[in-house]
Amino acid sequence: MQRPDWAPETIDVERPSVARMYDYYLGGSHNFAADRAAAQAMMAAVPEAPLMAQANRAFLRRAVQFLTGAGVRQFLDIGSGIPTVGNVHEIAQRHAPDSRVVYVDVDPVAVAHSREILAGNDGATVVQEDFRHPDRILAHPDVRAALDLTRPVAVLIVAVLHFVPDDDRPAELLRALRDALPAGSYLVLSQASDDGRSDAERAEAQRVYQRTDSPLSVRSRAQLTTFFDGFELVEPGVVWVPQWRPETPESAENAERAVFLGGVGRLGG
Amino acid sequence: MGLGGSVGDGPDARGHAGAFARAWAKALAGTSYLPMTHAQLELLLQRLTDRLAEALRTEPLDLRVGHRVGTELVAAHIASAEALGRTVEVIQLRLVRDLDLVADDIDDRMARLLAAIATGYARALRDRTLDEQESIRRAALTARADAERALRASEARFRHQATHDPLTGLPNRTLFGERLAAVLDGPTSGVHRVGLCFLDLDRFKRINDSYGHSIGDRALVAAARRLSRAVEPHLVARLGGDAFVILVERSTGTGDVVAVAEAALAALAEPILVGGHDVAVPASVGIVERRVADTSPDDLMRAAGSTLHWTKLAGGAGWTLYDAERDRREQARQALSAAIPGGLERGEFYLDYQPLTSLQDGSLLGVEALVRWRHPQLGVLGPDNFIGLAEETGLIVPLGAWVLAEACREAVGWTAAVGEPPYVSVNLAVRQVRRPGLVQEVRGLLARTGLPPNRLQLEITESMMMSGTEEAVRVLRALADLGVRIAIDDFGTGYSNLAYLRNLPVTELKVAGEFVRGLRAPEAADERILASLVSLAHALDLTVTAEGVETVGQAERLRAIGCDAGQGWHFGRPAPADHILSRIR
Ligand SMILES: C[S@@+](CC[C@H](N)C(=O)[O-])C[C@H]1O[C@@H](n2cnc3c(N)ncnc32)[C@H](O)[C@@H]1O
Repeated sequence: MQRPDWAPETIDVERPSVARMYDYYLGGSHNFAADRAAAQAMMAAVPEAPLMAQANRAFLRRAVQFLTGAGVRQFLDIGSGIPTVGNVHEIAQRHAPDSRVVYVDVDPVAVAHSREILAGNDGATVVQEDFRHPDRILAHPDVRAALDLTRPVAVLIVAVLHFVPDDDRPAELLRALRDALPAGSYLVLSQASDDGRSDAERAEAQRVYQRTDSPLSVRSRAQLTTFFDGFELVEPGVVWVPQWRPETPESAENAERAVFLGGVGRLGG
Repeated sequence: MGLGGSVGDGPDARGHAGAFARAWAKALAGTSYLPMTHAQLELLLQRLTDRLAEALRTEPLDLRVGHRVGTELVAAHIASAEALGRTVEVIQLRLVRDLDLVADDIDDRMARLLAAIATGYARALRDRTLDEQESIRRAALTARADAERALRASEARFRHQATHDPLTGLPNRTLFGERLAAVLDGPTSGVHRVGLCFLDLDRFKRINDSYGHSIGDRALVAAARRLSRAVEPHLVARLGGDAFVILVERSTGTGDVVAVAEAALAALAEPILVGGHDVAVPASVGIVERRVADTSPDDLMRAAGSTLHWTKLAGGAGWTLYDAERDRREQARQALSAAIPGGLERGEFYLDYQPLTSLQDGSLLGVEALVRWRHPQLGVLGPDNFIGLAEETGLIVPLGAWVLAEACREAVGWTAAVGEPPYVSVNLAVRQVRRPGLVQEVRGLLARTGLPPNRLQLEITESMMMSGTEEAVRVLRALADLGVRIAIDDFGTGYSNLAYLRNLPVTELKVAGEFVRGLRAPEAADERILASLVSLAHALDLTVTAEGVETVGQAERLRAIGCDAGQGWHFGRPAPADHILSRIR
């Protein structure tokens, strides 16, 4: 009997998950031995890995603060990961309690964990889906129930795109999302970049992530900029994440060490 | 503790506390992710600094403040080994200095306070770690349970899809097969009986043809729903097209299954309203009911299929009960017909010939070729046993061709001592005449064997002439043009339309034996009919051969009427060619 294509996968905690490795970099304990081993291997190759994760997470926080300040009340966070600390709904709802957040992740453990954390929060929900199926995300009943797609939505795809190879045509996937959004919506992107990295560092990072479900597709600033096609980049454009609206001048120092490029775009019209 | 000495404040302690908090915040940078703005962090640390300063100034030293500060740091997600190290370091190095705290026992107090902070911190961090481990483990278990549930659901869905018909939602052939097998393999099968109703909508194709497939499909769906409701709780499966089958488990006798079939037929008696059309869906049912122990799924299905076929043959719209005797006969016939090609290949067929004798002078005018089958198991079979079958299945075409060729091949070698050697008369089946190429076949045969055309006679039936299409008439003309004789076989059993014969290239009438049998008494009606038939035939320039002549008396009367030739036991039974030959040499 052929296994039908809707049959779900089983859960294997022996395999490192990028969501839990990321939690480990951030100092969390929502991880298993295999995740820690992979994260430590990564840190041996790229010692700044935890710093990168922290800088990315801080970028996410500042971006959400910026968006709530801009009046956005609906968030679609794709590749949301393990809710550790400083989740989008916490940031947004602190500023605007009526904010609604839909988290989307492919990792079933991340989704189960999110569901537990979000129990009792009417303004936030989680959906297990793949960024590579934007149509399914948009059509998902929970997404439909939570988000009003006639009003501006901020789509966050933060620290996810390097897990989406060019073969999956990320630009088209982003376009599909964009086409479903009304004017005044936002797109927040960040992803690992190898701009300014040594070959040895690139190779080692590849090697580590090859063992996870998600090998790395690093991209240049120019490539990431094209992902904002159709959006107007808000200041300061696509930059190393610490440089994106830093809270203190010092925090933007040595920004390229953060490895992540990020930016925020607004859908005009 | 308790030196009694007071801890004094330097001037401007507030401002110094702020400087310390800023230094602390800086020391924490990068130790772990801090989900707050830098300003929020400084504010928090400022508050904790105040509490620590307060504790250091207060007599007696309250270590719980240290515990609480440690706990609060962790609660604010300043929760890593590095953060603790930096905190201890910055407090030890700067707190007393920055806040101008002075006391005799300040070192001692500081050491104890730091220890309390570290203890509170480590405890909180440990609890936090354990909580997080617990929650991620729980999440993994939940996810696994969800995945397994989803897998089961998807398997169930997949299984449902694999075992149900997508159009009607009824179980499909697969599920039906499984259920039937389960019934037959059941543990108590010895005493149980099982029934099947094989149901098929009559002429359903016409519905598709006249209303279109979408109406047809909707009618099927409605029919399926009516059926399954009418025969509940019995399983109704759609086998494909408009064929359904109802499984009657635990039948107590044919009555049970007949009742189910009647319920099913009643459910379909009323037309179905689809798309504004009243679509009638009469159905036929074949019923089989037996002891579970005596049957197999294939057996049951085959029997039900044959029985359904009988219903259809009887005009449909009803049910038929399986009849083992009839089935056996049909199967035997089928087996026989299936063996014809092999028999031809192995040379199991041969010809006997029956004389056609002149009533005028007793000479042998011709012989009729009669095919025999020397069947390896059944012995020698006459044409009555297999020609009908061969006609039904179309095997008459190769068989007839063989007979024709064999007859020509044998006849060409016959030489007569005096006069013409006898012609050979061969029966042609409708299918042979309808098939294109017969004329060529005959022409080729004559050329190949060298048999003079007038020594071949082809017998066709009267009914074939009557239903003769223009094409058939054209073929007969072409055959007659070759010089071949054409006879109408069994004349008098059909419409016997002589006028019709006028336009056909027929040379001879073979009058059916029925008329001859009626010739016992002189001046009988049959004799008068026969007499006028003969004179009419002669008027049309046809010769007349009487079939079934069994007695001298009959032969005498026939001759008296003017009949040209006779065939029958009186003149000789069918026999191998050499017997015939011995008569003419
Ligand atoms: C590094 S974490 C980022 C978490 C969060 N967005 C942040 O920046 O703090 C990457 C997350 O993306 C998820 N992810 C990777 N590929 C994905 C895909 N194709 N669709 C949805 N999620 C994906 C992983 O499971 C993981 O949880």
